[in-house]
Amino acid sequence: MPAGASWLLNLKARMIRFDNVTKIYKGETRAVNAVTLNIEKGEFVFLVGPSGSGKSTMLRLMTCEEKVTDGNIHVAGKDLSKLTSWRVPYLRRNIGSVFQDFKLLPNKTVYQNVAFALEVIGRPENVIRTQVPAILELVGLEDKHRRFPDELSGGEQQRVSVARAFVNRPLILLADEPTGNLDPDTSEELTSLLDRINRTGTTVVMATHDQAIVNRMRRRVVALRHGELVRDEQRGAYGGETGPAEAAATGPAEAAASQPADGDNP
Amino acid sequence: MSRIRYFARETWTNIRRNLTLTFAAILTVAVGVMLVGMGLMAGYASGNALDRWEGGVQFEVFLNPQIDPSQIDALGIELQNHPEIDRIEFFSSEEAYALVSQQMADQPELLAQVSPEALPASYRVVPRSVESELIESLAAQFRQRPGVMSVQTGREEVDAIRTWFTSFQGIVLLLSIVLSGASVMLIFNSIRVAMFARRREIEVMKLVGATNSFIRFPFMLEGMLHGLIGGIIGAIAAGALRGHVEGLFSRSEILAFFRSFVVTSSQFTTVVIITVIAGVVVGILGSAFAASRFLDV
Repeated sequence: MPAGASWLLNLKARMIRFDNVTKIYKGETRAVNAVTLNIEKGEFVFLVGPSGSGKSTMLRLMTCEEKVTDGNIHVAGKDLSKLTSWRVPYLRRNIGSVFQDFKLLPNKTVYQNVAFALEVIGRPENVIRTQVPAILELVGLEDKHRRFPDELSGGEQQRVSVARAFVNRPLILLADEPTGNLDPDTSEELTSLLDRINRTGTTVVMATHDQAIVNRMRRRVVALRHGELVRDEQRGAYGGETGPAEAAATGPAEAAASQPADGDNP
Repeated sequence: MSRIRYFARETWTNIRRNLTLTFAAILTVAVGVMLVGMGLMAGYASGNALDRWEGGVQFEVFLNPQIDPSQIDALGIELQNHPEIDRIEFFSSEEAYALVSQQMADQPELLAQVSPEALPASYRVVPRSVESELIESLAAQFRQRPGVMSVQTGREEVDAIRTWFTSFQGIVLLLSIVLSGASVMLIFNSIRVAMFARRREIEVMKLVGATNSFIRFPFMLEGMLHGLIGGIIGAIAAGALRGHVEGLFSRSEILAFFRSFVVTSSQFTTVVIITVIAGVVVGILGSAFAASRFLDV
């Protein structure tokens, strides 16, 4: 990368930083309330909490789809409050996004869906021709590059969407309930794919209510409840077995009860 | 290179998906800019005709039938020597009668009522200047001379024709504004439909960091193409109209008066350029409105 060491150090220090961030929708709902959070470069963070706890809003704030009501966010070295609207696309090129509903284009093949992400940010054709097959190999779909999304299983579709999010080698990968539409085995596969991506140095933030995965991975867990940060621990679990206070805040029973509702994504 | 291909492909897909609305938009643009062209050509034609009249025989001094031949000569010399007058031509009663009988060849019973003596002799005067104010004051000088029956200038006729053409142009202009407005709205709608059809693509583009201008470009291009094609069709229609009308004037004896209403080919080129540009502007306006309303980050 054509940048000085100080810039790299800065990135290493803080990939994502929330300073006392509050988000109020339409003057009523307090979706995120006074959250302060630092995420370092190369971290893998689970954002957990019941539906409506503010996980998706946190992600949408990072990509500038929503503006903060109060507080400050830094992403990839950029102060989002100072980011002019025409710079937002350049920020998003550093952030890959994966969603519960995949957001694949049904009239394009697997290859075209992934290539599209490079095409529309003006990458030259020779780059597209080398990058797309490489990323399809990484997600294990090199044999299915000519298929259309509706010819694939849910897990495969989600892998296409991960390939699309990662093909531009972003610094950050945000995943909003990526396993929400997948069965447990497929969810495991997808999470280990995100884990592999994380090991290349990409910061991964995954919003989820999938207890099994969070508990198996033992990565950093940030728990939200009514828009407030209630727990932040390294190598945590979904329900927070490490302390009685946290367990009371987001008890396993409550988390399990909220899981089938699954209405967090707008 | 990949960008150009991308834009060409996206624009073409949009147009193909949306054929009926595209067609409606293009035709409205065509009719609208054709009216713009018509208004322009009417202006040019009347301007050309009036220039010709104003520059030609400008006023006629009619003489009293009882006038002395010596007075006729004296008046002729005075006119000839006047510094504002270029040249004069004497037109006797017999010559005037010859002209009238030629014009009334179809109505011999009417012609029988006219005798050569009843028609006044006249001087046709060509002034140096073509300015109507000057001609009018010159005419007034000779109106009071002894032996002069009347002095007629073409001013009133010219003014009447100018007024008629100006109001004609006004109506055409108004119509073309209304139709251009309708074209902008139609293009706006057709681009909106195209954007709605591609809302998933647009969502993904925003997600992966395509710039707004990149997202908008194919839609702007589409709107501009609507305008351009409409403009070209409109210009062709205006050209056909010009040919038809000029043919009509030259064939018909009733419309012979209008023969001097012509548009020169350099003026027609200007008309074509303006109509095509008008079409493109309408297209860009419609699509720019749509893009700014429906593509916010």
